[in-house]
Amino acid sequence: MDGVSYQRFPKVKIRELKDEFAKFELRDTDASMANALRRVMIAEVPTIAIDLVEIEVNSSVLNDEFIAHRLGLIPLTSSRAISMRFSRDCDACDGDGQCEYCSVEFHLRAKCMSDQTLDVTSKDLVSSDHTVQPVDVGGFENSDRGIIIVKLRRGQELKLRAIARKGIGKDHAKWSPAATVTFMYEPEIHINEEMMESLTLEEKQSFVDSSPTRVFDIDANTHQVVVVDREAYTYDDEVLKKAEAMGKPGLVEIYAKEDSFIFTVESTGAIKASEMVLNAIEVLKQKLDAVTLSDDTVEADDQFGELGAHMRGG
Amino acid sequence: MEELGKRRPGELSQAEGLEELKQLFRHHIESFDYLIDEGLDLMLKHVKPCRQAKISYTGSFYITVCFQYDGGVVIREKFNFGEFPIMLRSKRCYLREADPTKLVACKEEAREMGGFFILNGLERLVRALIMPKRNYPMSVVRDSFRDRREGYTDKAVVIRCVRGDLSSVTVKLYYLQNGSARLGFWLQMKEYMLPVGVVLKALIDTNDHEIYKKLTCCYSEKNGEVKGAVGTQLIGERAKIILDEAQHLALFTQEQCLQHIGEHFQPLMEGMGEESYSAVADALLRNYIFVHLDDNNDKFNLLIFMVQKLFSLVDQTSTPDNTDSLQNQEILLAGHLITIYLKEKLEDWMRKGKLLIEETIKNKSKNFDFNSVKDIKKVMEKNRAAQVSSAIENLLKTGTLLTQTGLDLQQRAGFTIQAERLNYLRFISFFRSVHRGASFAGLRTTSVRKLLPESWGFLCPVHTPDGEPCGLLNHMTSTCRITSNYNSQGNIRDFFKIRMSIVDVLVGVGMTTSWPKVEHAGPPQVLPVLLDGRVIGSLPSTEAEKVVAHLRRLKVSAASVIPDDLEVGYVPLSLGGTYPGLYLFTSPSRFIRPVRNISIPSVDGKNIELIGPFEQVFMEIRCPDGGNGGRSNSFPATHEEVSPTVMLSVVANLTPWSDHNQSPRNMYQCQMAKQTMAFSLQAINARADQKLYHLQTPQSPIVRTKTYTKYCIDEYPSGTNVIVAVLAYTGYDMEDAMILKKSSVERGMCHGQIFQTETIDLCDSKRMSDQGQRIFKREHSDMSISSFVDSDGLPHVGQVIHQDEPYCSTIDQVTNSKYIYRRKGSETVIVDYVAVDTKNKNLQKANIRFRHPRNPVIGDKFSSRHGQKGVCSQLWPDIDMPFSGITGMSPDLIINPHAFPSRMTIGMLLEILAAKGGCLHGNFVDATPFSDDTESESLVEDLGSKLRALGFNYHGTEVLYSGVYGTELQCEIFIGPCYYQRLRHMVSDKYQVRATGQVDQITRQPIKGRKRGGGVRFGEMERDSLLAHGAAYLLHDRLHVCSDYHVADVCSLCGSLLTTTTIQPPKRVIREFGGLPPTKALKKVKCLACQTSKGMETVAMPYVFKYLVAELAAMNIKMTIQLNSRAAA
Repeated sequence: MDGVSYQRFPKVKIRELKDEFAKFELRDTDASMANALRRVMIAEVPTIAIDLVEIEVNSSVLNDEFIAHRLGLIPLTSSRAISMRFSRDCDACDGDGQCEYCSVEFHLRAKCMSDQTLDVTSKDLVSSDHTVQPVDVGGFENSDRGIIIVKLRRGQELKLRAIARKGIGKDHAKWSPAATVTFMYEPEIHINEEMMESLTLEEKQSFVDSSPTRVFDIDANTHQVVVVDREAYTYDDEVLKKAEAMGKPGLVEIYAKEDSFIFTVESTGAIKASEMVLNAIEVLKQKLDAVTLSDDTVEADDQFGELGAHMRGG
Repeated sequence: MEELGKRRPGELSQAEGLEELKQLFRHHIESFDYLIDEGLDLMLKHVKPCRQAKISYTGSFYITVCFQYDGGVVIREKFNFGEFPIMLRSKRCYLREADPTKLVACKEEAREMGGFFILNGLERLVRALIMPKRNYPMSVVRDSFRDRREGYTDKAVVIRCVRGDLSSVTVKLYYLQNGSARLGFWLQMKEYMLPVGVVLKALIDTNDHEIYKKLTCCYSEKNGEVKGAVGTQLIGERAKIILDEAQHLALFTQEQCLQHIGEHFQPLMEGMGEESYSAVADALLRNYIFVHLDDNNDKFNLLIFMVQKLFSLVDQTSTPDNTDSLQNQEILLAGHLITIYLKEKLEDWMRKGKLLIEETIKNKSKNFDFNSVKDIKKVMEKNRAAQVSSAIENLLKTGTLLTQTGLDLQQRAGFTIQAERLNYLRFISFFRSVHRGASFAGLRTTSVRKLLPESWGFLCPVHTPDGEPCGLLNHMTSTCRITSNYNSQGNIRDFFKIRMSIVDVLVGVGMTTSWPKVEHAGPPQVLPVLLDGRVIGSLPSTEAEKVVAHLRRLKVSAASVIPDDLEVGYVPLSLGGTYPGLYLFTSPSRFIRPVRNISIPSVDGKNIELIGPFEQVFMEIRCPDGGNGGRSNSFPATHEEVSPTVMLSVVANLTPWSDHNQSPRNMYQCQMAKQTMAFSLQAINARADQKLYHLQTPQSPIVRTKTYTKYCIDEYPSGTNVIVAVLAYTGYDMEDAMILKKSSVERGMCHGQIFQTETIDLCDSKRMSDQGQRIFKREHSDMSISSFVDSDGLPHVGQVIHQDEPYCSTIDQVTNSKYIYRRKGSETVIVDYVAVDTKNKNLQKANIRFRHPRNPVIGDKFSSRHGQKGVCSQLWPDIDMPFSGITGMSPDLIINPHAFPSRMTIGMLLEILAAKGGCLHGNFVDATPFSDDTESESLVEDLGSKLRALGFNYHGTEVLYSGVYGTELQCEIFIGPCYYQRLRHMVSDKYQVRATGQVDQITRQPIKGRKRGGGVRFGEMERDSLLAHGAAYLLHDRLHVCSDYHVADVCSLCGSLLTTTTIQPPKRVIREFGGLPPTKALKKVKCLACQTSKGMETVAMPYVFKYLVAELAAMNIKMTIQLNSRAAA
């Protein structure tokens, strides 16, 4: 133990960054780290979502729970979430979760007066806090209308008050900011050029075609098989099987780099993809802090039992 | 996808698929229409909200009764026969011509097809029953015939004769050991046998020679044993015996025979006491023998034919007909059942009316004049006419026939069932189901349940329940129809005319018509021709095939007078096969189905012929798969199936690629499709069904069959496309358990609810005295329930109600006493709606509908469409689910790979593969079974290459990473979307748990029953296993301490348990000690028998033991208990 440090300095290289999408490389760390990051992004980055609905009038075709459930799933802009309090440990309101520190109030009033069907959408939600709004679902057809909650016909009415609170995806999926979080190991592909040259052009072509994704291609000039996109490789072993079938085992060798990962992160729009990653790292840090804080203390023994001694290096 | 997208919300799907759907329900409605058209003059009165009001959908029923005095003028008088139940969408229903828009305006389903009745708010239908084919003489061998009387054999020819009014009488012709035959018929619940010779002579004026010739004509010496010869030389001997029997009775002429019959039967024939013997005999022959024929010549000919068939059966030149095969069966429909029942009830009414009038005449009361219609009517009114209608209503309500005669039916009960709207497939299936009859359910033999080749194309081989009703309850295939009294244009058929024209056509092609005195040769030279059970002539057997082909051509051509559903049952000559002949049937309630007649040139696709099960057996029908099905070249196919899927029912047709599944799995799927929670009803807000299961967000399957589109199942979708991964993960997917992703469920997957309606009817009170006194009201002062119940006594819509909370309040206006309805059961519910009867000023009836949320929890049951059911074992967190590195996709559901090898549901694998490709390409995939129309070499190739084109694995597998460790899983995982159904069996409705609670009054043991909070029985076998383990303490705990533990006083002197009694301590002045609680007076017990409390001991025992002692004492058995301390023992 003494002096030997296993500390590594992971590097992040951002490849692509949009509001709700991010792609980056994470290097010099291991799968536990990468997976921890993924898990935190999905389940533990806090956002704000509607948690309590008081329905005053509902003469729509959908029942109360149905509407409440739909409201809960509407992503709300949650940049403020990290600084907000969880209503369960909010001192200001004694935990009833209705104060400004831990909740945001929404109102919705809609009544259809015409013969035209009225779409009640997330746009109709009126927030008490301008920073917390239903997200703008841009980029789709009719996206200016927002997310449809319910449709009303003539005479039907919906009137409700909703309280949005801070929460995490572990408690309910509606608080998860992640639409997709995934990572893959970076593949390393070695072509045995010598063996490859022994193939005819047709054989090379069939080898290239054996991969469902375009990983290899044939150079038009040199007729050599080259790797065009190694990240397109899905670890499906198709090319390896093909090589085996052609009687050329070892034609290509593919390894997964154990210490570098390519992350793809998509957000629901509640927070930006970049925030999601940063907040996730923050949450992860806090979790580690909790461990270090209790290091070397008596509480550690309470908290971790035998594990505490183990962590102290004993 | 496009189709769906184009339809604007709120717009109703017109026409498309409606016709197809209508076809499925047609037979029920047509049969009822027939009832209305033929006999009844129904007046429509009130109509709709019967479901809500829990009353019956009926119409006033008037009958015009004609009075005629001695040939005088007919006087017509209308009688009110009460409220007659009306079938929905029948001719008397106001929804008959309604289009979807009108139906919706009437708060009905847009696709309401009718075919059922509404009785007390419940939808009930008459179950279709299998009956023996009418008017066809069937050879039957049955051991029970031997026991009829001395000398009888087990052979008989049976014919079920059906009159024009659908009432039927079965007649049996028994063979006797001495070579003679007896004609058996039922009269007043008893069977009577007449010698055939006597009946033959009584029917027409004939002589022995003629009868002999007639009987023996089917045998000719030169035939010998050639193919198709049915007669043997024994027939002459037998004919002599038959004639001798008549001679022994000294009966020679028709008149003598009639006298003989009349003399014997006069006491039995009702109302014929004063008639002459021959008139009685005439009536007997008319009403009990071959009732489908009016003419005695026809009856004579038929009897001759039956005798010949019987002798052929005895001589084994023809085989017995199988009564269990569909070939010899037809169906009993709702309208027909009601018709015959109504006929009997009306006859009863008439008889009673007649008796009443006769009685009045006898009494010679002054103010009664027989010639005055008014007086007659007065008397008739005493005879309650309305009970005729109420009898019908009762039949439909309870399914029980109350009849003296039995109506020639095999069963008395179980005619109607409730049409549950659990989901649409279940609902449809009720109307397509055919039951073999309740009498067969108890039968030990399994032969009736067998799947016979004769039912091919008519009854679905897949869609029958497993277990008790297996093979008895069948379902018609999707193309199977039932012939009715209406032709394809919807006009009522004139069967007399049709038969006449068929005879004309047959005479035109060389048939010799039959006359009683003209003798025909028999098979193999000529074939008898029977039309609806009437021998109409004979046909040279060489011509038969040509004639049959000609008839079939006429059937298909629209212009001919021959009906398109004529059954041309041509039984060819054979060596000891079915008795040959040409049997034609035009009657209603036969099964029919369309096939393509390829022997005639198709005129713009019009070569569809409707065939029945009787003719099908002798036809050459090939499957349109290109092969010849092993047919020999000497019998080329004349017909072709429309499609290979016509052999399946609607529900069985919905299983994608069912041809790739092991067959029992398809049967399971048919069962499970019918117990799926689905989109129950579109008009759900106007309904008050007792229980409705509703799926909140159903989806349309990506992989579907053509039938799915044809019948627009999208209107009532019943499942969800979920991403399924097949892998063993966490161990929670063992033994058909499955793991659901928690966040998928939280996002709304498979959410659903149960609607349950409670009807509060204040008129329905048990005490008649307080009728009209109670009203819905809440006392203003009563604040304790004001948050639940409004001042009108009814709950707020949307109100959450927990256990024992009030939801309704009534007040008796006279006594001012209130009654509060409280919610039973531990479940929390929500008031969904409250419906009240607004017509009535004084509110007396209210429907309160509760909503039980039913979102997936551990223990709920799910199933794919391939008989792969499973129980949710965990709601697994999203982050721990395996995920794909490329797409980031994680499965919604994980099933274990062990679900596949033994069950071989390859269809499910194909579905997942196809659905994956389909959703990636953005289109629906057709999965119609047996439609191998892919361009590529195999189906898998077709589906795999589609996946490959998008960079996915050909076999549908993907590399997944463990959600827990982030490392690659060792195997590639088969993953893709699959349509999953949520079954209605949910733990929330089933779990049973108890610590303490109610006990039985007598035994003091815990009560049973989930509803009442009872326990689960720890039975004998459970006890045995504990004993075997030696777990004595646990045994003692379960069966004693937790059950009826009791400390009893026993008198050790006399050993009695019963004579002990507590002595009431004398009332003492309670002395108060400062601050101390009063000391509890010691309970003193003494034995009444010994008059002392010396020997009193307490013993712990089960309370039932004490009860047993008491019971024994009641039987004068004394039981004593000997007590001794352990040390002394």
